[in-house]
Amino acid sequence: MIDSAPVVFVIDDDASVREAVKNLLESVGLSVQVFKSTEEFRQTSRPDAPSCLVLDVRLPGNNGLELQEALAKGGIAIPIIFITAHGDVPMASRALKAGAIEFLLKPFQKEDLLTAIHHGLERDQIKREEQAEVAALRSRFDNLTAREREVMHLVVAGLTNKEVGAQLGISEITTKMHRGQVMRKMQADSLAGLVRMAQKFLPENRR
Amino acid sequence: MISAWFGGMGAGIFAVLISTVLVDYFFLPPFYSFSVSTTAEAYFGAFVACALVASWLSSSKRESEVALREARDELEIRVSERTAELMKTQADLAHLSQVLSMGELTASIAHEINQPLTAVVTNGHACVEWLSANPPKFDKALQTAHKIIEDGTRAGAILGRIRALFKKEAIARDWVDINEVIQELTVFLRNEALRRGVSIREDLAPKLPKVMGDHVQLQQVVLNLIMNGFDAMDGGTSPKELAIRSGLEGANEIWVQVEDRGTGLGSEIADKIFDPFFTTKSQGIGMGLAISRTIIESHEGQLWASPRSAGTGAVFQFTLPIGPKGSA
Repeated sequence: MIDSAPVVFVIDDDASVREAVKNLLESVGLSVQVFKSTEEFRQTSRPDAPSCLVLDVRLPGNNGLELQEALAKGGIAIPIIFITAHGDVPMASRALKAGAIEFLLKPFQKEDLLTAIHHGLERDQIKREEQAEVAALRSRFDNLTAREREVMHLVVAGLTNKEVGAQLGISEITTKMHRGQVMRKMQADSLAGLVRMAQKFLPENRR
Repeated sequence: MISAWFGGMGAGIFAVLISTVLVDYFFLPPFYSFSVSTTAEAYFGAFVACALVASWLSSSKRESEVALREARDELEIRVSERTAELMKTQADLAHLSQVLSMGELTASIAHEINQPLTAVVTNGHACVEWLSANPPKFDKALQTAHKIIEDGTRAGAILGRIRALFKKEAIARDWVDINEVIQELTVFLRNEALRRGVSIREDLAPKLPKVMGDHVQLQQVVLNLIMNGFDAMDGGTSPKELAIRSGLEGANEIWVQVEDRGTGLGSEIADKIFDPFFTTKSQGIGMGLAISRTIIESHEGQLWASPRSAGTGAVFQFTLPIGPKGSA
């Protein structure tokens, strides 16, 4: 499901900067894809791998901050490292508030860029693992019967078998059987485990 | 003695020799013979000694005078060279302060240079990485070093271009017909106007006095104002018309107006449009009007913006004095 090799995307309209960043990242063993505009980036299909985006603020067409907004609206939460020739404080704070990893002034130092990129890739990796876990839980949940889902909802809400049975109008034995199926299908080894799972993907159980 | 004066020591001694022989032949007994009688020996010896001393004195005096003159000439050359250098430095300084007082040149250079500089620094880091790899990747390092040279050269070329743009020779003043400046541009911009669906209306006062200035720089200003006008009307629905007018203001100034029917200038924007890096265009770097104002001010004129009197749009206007201090 996940292509394991992480990818760094670089968007800068200046060819020499773009290629230099690519060169630097490749020299430390990262794989890189470069784009000269936000449009080109959005039109290109990207590999399903942990990734982050090194983004110039001032770009032809949509600038970097606008792309950040558009990606966030589209639910694409790729970590962003901004690079700019002359950033000001409002610009930087706007970018960071909107979730950017880092805001670097050109010319930047290698350590600053690489630290930010590793941080970004790590954040994306964690996010992707979480998403994968949620997706797995979601598909296990989808395999439950309607009755089993009802039972699960009530069990994780803290009700005993007896209470669940009473609420659903079924016997305690039947409830126990359904509950056993839920535990098996959800691959939960304990009630606490099942509650933790529910918190991860069932909206009403989120904290 | 005379020959020593003009010919130096060698010629002096030669002349002494000749005259000695001649004196011996004609004036010393026995006459008309090269032999010297014993009585004449003393006179002859004295003559030779005198001739030699006189010749030596004469030639050395001459030499010292020549040396003196050479030294003086050299000094004069040096003084005039130094003076020229000083004058150049002063002119450079005056020019520099004229440009730098606007502040935006520095900012503009910083921006233009920063991209290749970023590439150089980044590639420098990459080069180190390729070389410290195990085993070192020499081909990659070599390629990277070539890139560094390229980008460094590019940065230099950008500096050169900016320098040429603001070179003081470029402000070499000449008599400029502002209508000619405008008409050259409108001919050149006809296709661009057509493409953007803009009609250009020219309303130029005939027989305007010429102004002292730099043709190319003034053209840059007018071009900038026209292009801004075009941009301001891009995407609008109202009829796109750009009016360019020129005229005489009193006896001392001419003016040029560029009026567009674009979205106009809000009061908060109007204050900022001449600031370096202020731009309302997604692709602009915000230097056009700042540089335009610098150029007009260096021509002792003024550039300002105001809203169009009727309907939406903006008017950019500049004035230029007619001739320096009324010498037209």
